[in-house]
Order: sequence, then C-alpha cells, then structure tokens
Amino acid sequence: MIPVAPSVVWKSNINGQQKESLIPSNAILLDVLRDKAGCLGVKRGCDMGTCGCCTVMIDGVPRLSCLTMAQDGAGKEIITVEGLSDGAHLAPIQQCFGEHGGSQCGFCTPGFLVASQALLNENSNPSEQEIACAIEGNLCRCTGYQQIIDSIKAAAEIHRGEKESTPPVSDAHPDPHPTGPDEPTMPPGHAR
Amino acid sequence: MAGGYKQQPGSRSSETRKDGKRVAGKQSFAPPGSGGSRPKMAERDLDFIPEMVGGKEHQPAGAHIHDRARTGTTVGKRIPLVDANAKVTGQAWYGDDVRLQNEIIGRIVRSPHHYAKVVSVDTSKAENLPGVLAVATGDDAPNKFGVLPVTKDEHAMAVEKVRHVGDLVACVAAIDEATAREAAALIEVEYEVLDSIHDMKKGLEDVDEPIHWRGKYHVGTTNVQKRVFQEFGDRSMVENPSAMYHGKWKFQGVNHGFTEPHAVVAHWDSNGRLQLYTPQQVPHYAHRALATVLEVPMHQINVIRTFVGGGFGGKSDPFPHEMCAAILARKAGRPVRINFDREEVFWVNRGRHPSHIEVQLYADEDARISGFDIDALIDGGGFASFGHVTSYYNGVLATAPYELGSFHYTGARVWTNKPASGAMRGHGAVNTRCAVEVGLDDMAEQLQVDPIDLRLANLLPPHSRTISGFRITSNGMRQALQKVREGSDWDNKFRKLPLGKGIGIGCGFFISGSGLPIHWDPNKFPHATVHMQIDMDGGVTVHTGAADIGQGSTTAVAQVVAEVLALPIEMIHVRSHESDTSPVDLGSYSSRVTFMNANAAIRAALEIKEKLLNAAWDVLGYHPDTLVLNDRRIYYKHDPAIGMSYLEALHKAQEDKGALISSGAYRSPPMGGVHKGAAAGLAPAYSFSAYVAEVDVDVETGLIKCTDVWAAHDCGKALNPLAVEGQIIGSCHMGLGQVLTEQMVYGRSGHLQNPNLLDYKIPSVHEMPNVTPIIIESCDPEGPFGAKEAGEGPLLPILPAVVNAVYDAIGIRVNDLPLTPDKIWAAITKKMKIERIEDATNLPVPRLDFSELQEKLAKRAAEHNIRDKKRQTTEDTSAYVNGVLFGFDPNIPLEEQVEGWAHADKPSAEQLAELGLAGKAWLKEEQRNMGGEN
Repeated sequence: MIPVAPSVVWKSNINGQQKESLIPSNAILLDVLRDKAGCLGVKRGCDMGTCGCCTVMIDGVPRLSCLTMAQDGAGKEIITVEGLSDGAHLAPIQQCFGEHGGSQCGFCTPGFLVASQALLNENSNPSEQEIACAIEGNLCRCTGYQQIIDSIKAAAEIHRGEKESTPPVSDAHPDPHPTGPDEPTMPPGHAR
Repeated sequence: MAGGYKQQPGSRSSETRKDGKRVAGKQSFAPPGSGGSRPKMAERDLDFIPEMVGGKEHQPAGAHIHDRARTGTTVGKRIPLVDANAKVTGQAWYGDDVRLQNEIIGRIVRSPHHYAKVVSVDTSKAENLPGVLAVATGDDAPNKFGVLPVTKDEHAMAVEKVRHVGDLVACVAAIDEATAREAAALIEVEYEVLDSIHDMKKGLEDVDEPIHWRGKYHVGTTNVQKRVFQEFGDRSMVENPSAMYHGKWKFQGVNHGFTEPHAVVAHWDSNGRLQLYTPQQVPHYAHRALATVLEVPMHQINVIRTFVGGGFGGKSDPFPHEMCAAILARKAGRPVRINFDREEVFWVNRGRHPSHIEVQLYADEDARISGFDIDALIDGGGFASFGHVTSYYNGVLATAPYELGSFHYTGARVWTNKPASGAMRGHGAVNTRCAVEVGLDDMAEQLQVDPIDLRLANLLPPHSRTISGFRITSNGMRQALQKVREGSDWDNKFRKLPLGKGIGIGCGFFISGSGLPIHWDPNKFPHATVHMQIDMDGGVTVHTGAADIGQGSTTAVAQVVAEVLALPIEMIHVRSHESDTSPVDLGSYSSRVTFMNANAAIRAALEIKEKLLNAAWDVLGYHPDTLVLNDRRIYYKHDPAIGMSYLEALHKAQEDKGALISSGAYRSPPMGGVHKGAAAGLAPAYSFSAYVAEVDVDVETGLIKCTDVWAAHDCGKALNPLAVEGQIIGSCHMGLGQVLTEQMVYGRSGHLQNPNLLDYKIPSVHEMPNVTPIIIESCDPEGPFGAKEAGEGPLLPILPAVVNAVYDAIGIRVNDLPLTPDKIWAAITKKMKIERIEDATNLPVPRLDFSELQEKLAKRAAEHNIRDKKRQTTEDTSAYVNGVLFGFDPNIPLEEQVEGWAHADKPSAEQLAELGLAGKAWLKEEQRNMGGEN
C-alpha cells in the first residue's frame, strides 16, 4: 500500500473568507479547492495544465490550480469564480459573458472568467492582442473564442466607466398582472 | 388591478344574516403572484412581428405557418442563454460536481493490450485491501448494449475479450481515490494476446478471430461491420466528361475535445431505485441500456442529466462506465462517483472516423455535374457505436446541394483494435464533403470557370428532391454563396492574390433532425414531447427531455414558449434534467433539438394559449380571433383598453380544473423512398452553408494560418441570432482544428500517442481567424417559426474552404488532413524538384483565365436565381426533382423516362470487378449465404 502523506493544517483566504482544513501534505490545490473548500466552480479538465479550466487567482495572479501544490497556496489570497461576484450582483465580466455568448456549455467559463478578470484588474483598456495573450492558456471548444473576446471587451468598457453595467434584458421579476394602456379601473369580469 | 380580487360572490361588506349571525362578506386581496416590477404592459415590438401578420419584420422567403403565433417577445432577438448565470457564477453542476452523502470513488481497470482474450481475472487482492467496498468484472453484467438496436456489441466490462487498449476489464470502488487506484492496480488479469488489426484496409481481409461476430450476417470472416452500396441515376452520363476529378483522401481520427471529461454518479436510493447522474446528450438511450444491463425495469431508474460540459456527439452513446458505477453502487450500497482523467476520454473516444475516401467527380460539356462516385472506407475502432449510420452518411449526405446526373457510393466500416469511433459534430458528412468540394474546385480549374459560379449553376432549388429521394424544403444555399462572395470581395481576390496568400470556397449540407427515431416506429411514438404546466402564480413550467449540452436547447424551448404566450422569458422555467419528470426525448444529436423540441413546445404553448383566449372570450365577449396577446395581457385588437391581464385570464381558465396543463409533440412527416438504406439521411429539413476562407501559407515552413472566414449558414430562421452566431464561430473553430492541427496519432505498434490536450492540438485563441458569421433565413415551412439546425452544418464547409484556399495560395493540393507544416513543406519541396525551382518564393501560383463556359454558367446561375426565388416563396409550386437540369420531366418517374436510371443497392457482377477500396467489402459473402453459422 502506498504510504499516506502526513496531514497538515492548511490555511488560506478563499474568496475573502479565512479557510482552515486538514489536508495531505502532497495535495494539489485543485483537489483542496474542490473537495475541502467546496469551490466546485473550479473545474478539472485535463490535470496537466493544458486546458485552463482550473484557473484561480492567487494573490491576484491567475494560476493553474491543477499544477499548484496546495501548500504553495497556503496563507495566500485565492479567488475562484465563486468570488468574482459581489453578493447577488454579477461582476461586469460575468454579466458580459452571458450577454455576449462568451459561455456556451460553460465548463471552461470559470477559468476564462478568472483569467480575464485578472487582466482587467491590471489593465482596463486591453487591446485585442493583450486579451488573446491573457486567455491563451485557456481552451474553449464551443465558442471559438470570438464571443469570449467580445465579452471581455464589453466588460472592459464597464471597468473604464464608459458604459453602465447593463441591467438584464428584461426585469428579473415581471409582474404577471400588468395594466394596459389607458385602462379604466374596472372590476374583473366586466368588459367595457 | 385596482379593487383586486374578490373572495366569493356576495355582498360587498359583512352583513348580519336573518338568524343574527354575522358572516364575512367579500374581502379584497391582492391577486396571487402579482407584486413584481413592471406593472405596465410594454408596447408590441412590431420589428419582430412578421409583415404578413401586420408587423414590420421583413419576410423575403414568404409567410410561415407559425406567423400568427408570433408576439414579438423573444424570437429573433439576441437572448442570453437562460442558464448563463449559473455558468458564470460556477453554480452549474457538471458530472463531477455531484456530491452525495457517503459517496465512494470508483476506478476502472483497463486493458493494456490491443486485442486479447481475458483468461481470468483475480480480484481477491483488491477485495482484501482495506477501504475497498466493491469490485466488479464482466461476469457481473453479461448483457450486451449499444446505442443502435441493430448493433448491440458492448459490455459493461470485458466478457471474453478486450478489443482495444483502454477497454474496460474490471472496476473497483473504495473510500477514496488513492485507495481505488491502489486496488485497481491489484487486480490481476491474465490475457491471451491475439493478433490485432490497426490498418483499416486489413479489416477487409478474412481473419481467424474477427473482433466481433455477427452470426449469419457476418461478412465472410472479415472485420467488416457494415457495408453500403448505393447507385442512383444514369451511369452513361459520366462517359466523355469535359472535366474530371479523381482524389484519394486520407482523414485522421479526430476527438471531440470537450472540456469536461466524462463523469458519473450512481446511487441506489432508499427505495431501491437507481438515481444516475451523468452528463449525457442522449439520456434516454442510456436509460434503456442501463435497464438492459442491470436487469431492472426502466421505471426503476431515474437518469439525471447534469450540466454537460460539451458534447459534440461524444456523450451520446450509453457508456460502459455508467453501467460500472451502477453495478459498484449496487454492490457497495453507497453512491459511487467515477470521474475520468483526460486519457480515459481518449480511450472512450467515439470521435470522427479515420477514413480513406476516394471520390471521382465528372462534369459534362455544359459544366453540369454528371456524376459523383464516392468510395469511403472508415475505421470504426473496437465497437459499432453509431457506425451503422455513419457508413451511410459518408455517402448520402453528398447528394445535395447539387443536381447530379448520377450518384454512386460504396462504403464500408471496419472494426479495428482502436478506441471506437462514433458520432461527432457533422456526423459522417464532414470528410466526404471536404473531398467533394475540393473536387469541384479542381473541376472549375480544369474548366477555367469561377468555382462559385460553377456551384451557383448547379444547385438544387427549394422544394425539390435529391437524386436519392431526400425532400428538400427551404434552401438558402444560393443566398449563402452570394453573401460570402460579396462579403469576402471574392471577385477581386480569387486567383489574384500573391504567392502565400489564398482564398477558397466550400459548401455544406446537413440534416436537421433525423427523420426516423432509432428505437421505435415513428407512427407509434412522436420524436419529441413537451409538457407544460401553469399554476395560479402564472409561472410556466416546461418539461422536456431535450438535453442542453451548451448549444442552448433549454433557451430555445423557453424562447418559443415565451413567444407564443407573450410572457417575459423569466416566467418560463424549463425542467429538463430528470427522466422521472421529463417526457421521453431522443436527446441532442442529429441537430434535432431545436427543430423537433421547439416544434413540440409551440404546440403545447398553443394549447395553453387557446385556453387563455377562451377564458378571455368568456370575460371580454370578443372572439379569440380578435384578441391579441402582448406582454402579459390579452386585449381586443381594435382597442387595447378592452382587455385583461394574463393572470386574470389564467385564473378564469383555471376555474374548473386548476392548473393549466398541456402536452405537445412533434413527429416528422412520412418521407423517403423504399430502397435499402432510404431512411439514412432523411430529415424533415436540411441546412445549407457556404464559407469563404482566406489563408496565409508560409512557403518556407509550410505553416498555414487561416486569417479570415466569411461564414454564411442557412438556419431557416434565427430564433436567437446570438446563439446561432456562437454555433457558426464554434463550428469554424472545430473544423479548423481538423483541417490544420488535430489528429489522433497511432504509432507503429498501434498505440495512441497523444491522449492528452497538450499533444492533441486544439486551436487556441491565437489560431482562430476572424470569423464573420452571416445568417441566411430561408424560413423552413416545417421548422419552429421557420428555424432549422445551426449546430453541425456550419462545420462542414470550413475544411474544403481552407484546403481550396491553400491551393489558391501555393498551387498545391494535399489530400491528407490535417494539413500540418511537414506535409505542406514536403509537397512544396516535391513540386520544387519537379519544376526545378530553387527558391520556394518563386513557386508559381494558379491564375484564372475565364473560358467561354464562364459566361454560360453565369447566365444559367442568373436564370436559376429567378427560378429559386419563385420556388422559395411558393409562387411556383411545380414539381422539381433532381434530373430536371438534364432535361427530364419531373412529373414522370425517372426510371420510366431514362433507360438505365437505376436504383441499386448491390453491385452487379461487372461492377464487382472494378470496385474501389471500400467496395472490396462486397467481394465477400455473408455467412448466411455461405452455408456457415446461422
């Protein structure tokens, strides 16, 4: 039987919250995030750093969590896709990915979001080439990247303050009981 | 509404009865469910209401049967996917994100041999390892399964034989992954290694031990899984051609490369029912296969489709690992989760078939296409999967969009000891399409005409029939070609660009839903069913089995329901994850979901609409024909002030029976001929596409960079242009991978050498060209609001467009995909040697000097343009069948007009002598004709 690695206490700040758990000393950050910290939004696509689905921000820098030892992330600030939104409000980048078709099946989306948020934090006016370089480590099989780039550009505009964060296409809670134009007040059941 | 609702009839205020008792009178209370924002009805959005019913939406292709159901709410608008928020916040739950209480981890033991008999499996050491809770082998599940009922040839785990490296032999479940891996290593399997086959050509030969045995239907003792022979039309037409193309093509296997590896969770609940969580494109087939393998009735299994992290055909088979998880969970009495690593994804494969395709194309003196001869030998790997269908698709999907004088197809699919090939985006049509379109380009070169004009002068019109009997309804091929020609500035670039820069054209044709359901008689069950329910809160719950794999089927269903009922899309809730609650649906393949499911959803929604309008009729006193639905209200069309809210109408309609319930279904019309294989390729509608690609070729390294693509796709009607464009660009990406970089490389000993995403080269963001998606709307008469598919067809044209562009750039055709730099460079050096050129930068580039034929073609194309417009709008409803271009009468069966207008499904004796590669499969007899095993 393979000897079990000794357990160590692992402390980190994940999405603004201090987390502490007991992990095997040789654990991979991806496994810890998914299985100990409950961040199932961090995806496992290839286990060898080729697809970028597991990208998280460690102290503001996008990193592949499948190639990072958990111990290397100890004591640092880790932001996953779950940490991008501010409470119930989507971050501009999240909003734009939805609106511009940057996400189809959605599996690569968390990695792309984190990588592009890291870019926008540094540079709110990236050129197309800079965007491409920021997401070159992420593979997407659905969108062909074009709508992802559109999404990032749109989010950059919001970051620069040139555009308001657009409200949803229609209101989230439409009243099923609206009134019509020039409608007189009349009891139901009494047509004019 | 002011005044609100009244509880019960009676006086306005509380009163005292005669006996002195006080009773409550009517009390106002707020209508249930109201109180949301937006208390005012929005105005009708006339821009999205067809002009035929009084709106402003232009309808160049004429009216549609669903026009009257349009309310201008969602159809044609750029709607984000309804599940986008789940995806961007990390809340979408994929296969590996299902975490059940008390779960344990499963691990699969795989074969290290290509082909071997399993002599014994010793599991005792693994069973004794602490932490191991269950071990299973092939003996635990002897029943066969397979996606097609005619070719059930898979087991959960090897019974008797393993058929490729990575084939399943046993599985274990343990408390954690480390223990499970350890236990898997402790399982001792004794193999007797057999001679394996890796070259598909060898699959045609008789061997001692065929990979599968089909009994009386087995072809000789070969590894031929399926052979097809089809012949239509007049073979004498190909004599004395004015141009001819003969191409021998090689296509490598391609994997889907979805980002989510397979994963499954099986759980036998407290009532002994199986709850199986799996990212499946086709949950219903998995459901059936599970019942067969586990010997449990289907109603005791609940298949829960998780979010699917990309499918592309690769998650549409029922998979052995799904069975393994269920078997392990049953043994262990605890939920079992199995998730694959990337290498295992390649072992399961089901990607595009490696193929040898030989095509011969002929054109006559008027540059009409007098014949297509196609011979396709495809490598099925270890199992049948969808191969039966693929064998047909490689030929029959080339019978349009052009009018042909004759069509001849021989196809064969062989088993080899590789991971199984199966269905992948553009199923079966992609490789042949590439060969054929490049052939047309070559013939245009020989005839010295413009390849776009050659195509435009040979297209089948709308509302016609192909040579193989497919019914073409809407057809936007012509507009697609015209648009890309315009968009790309084709006329100023083609054959005019300098060395190293090139531009090329390619077309595509694909089915929009397969005409026949695989598992049942289409007359007995519909293809798709949608259930709807609205309770007093006004929210609409839609139950469908359509599997959203990222293409947005859930959004499409929500959209059409919202459109018909004139409700905001937020009020539509689509439930599609569980087989317990979803009506049976065939799932996401054959590009059928939007077409069939949305059609079913429209029918269900129309039933609800009728109930609402009847209720409004009761109240308002106006006939439903004079009532308008718009943004949560129903009103008299001549005076919007006379009306009622949706909620009031709903409550009126609910008076007698409570929640409104409806069911809608779709079944395709009866279609097709009677010849053998007539059902393959039948579809209620077909999509068409044309792409122009521009490339840069570095003549000194052979590196190709695709820079721009103009991609026109006829999707009938874009229900959601945002999603359609996403599909077009995504298809470009996937096709570009196949033509430039992607291949499954098998080494000399037959081992797969690149089962990972580092060596399997999926294009990254830097390899993507600028894609200009162009949506063509031909308004299909049977599609939902006129829509057809947009998911698979757009992949086809990118391959030939790039290959043709490379020829335009350097004057060299390479018929071996992918076009990697080494192949291009080898071809360049070969040409330099032959033509005695010292410097690659002095390579000659092809130039075009129009022949007399060009004018003739342009004239014919212009005439056909007028003809097609009339037929599209059904101004002209005369019959049109393939053959009219050659002067035949469409109203008389062609067999009666032309001697030798054949339909053959078997080669004649004289044809047997000159068959191509795949045709050689016909040299052997089936066992039943050999007096062999019955």
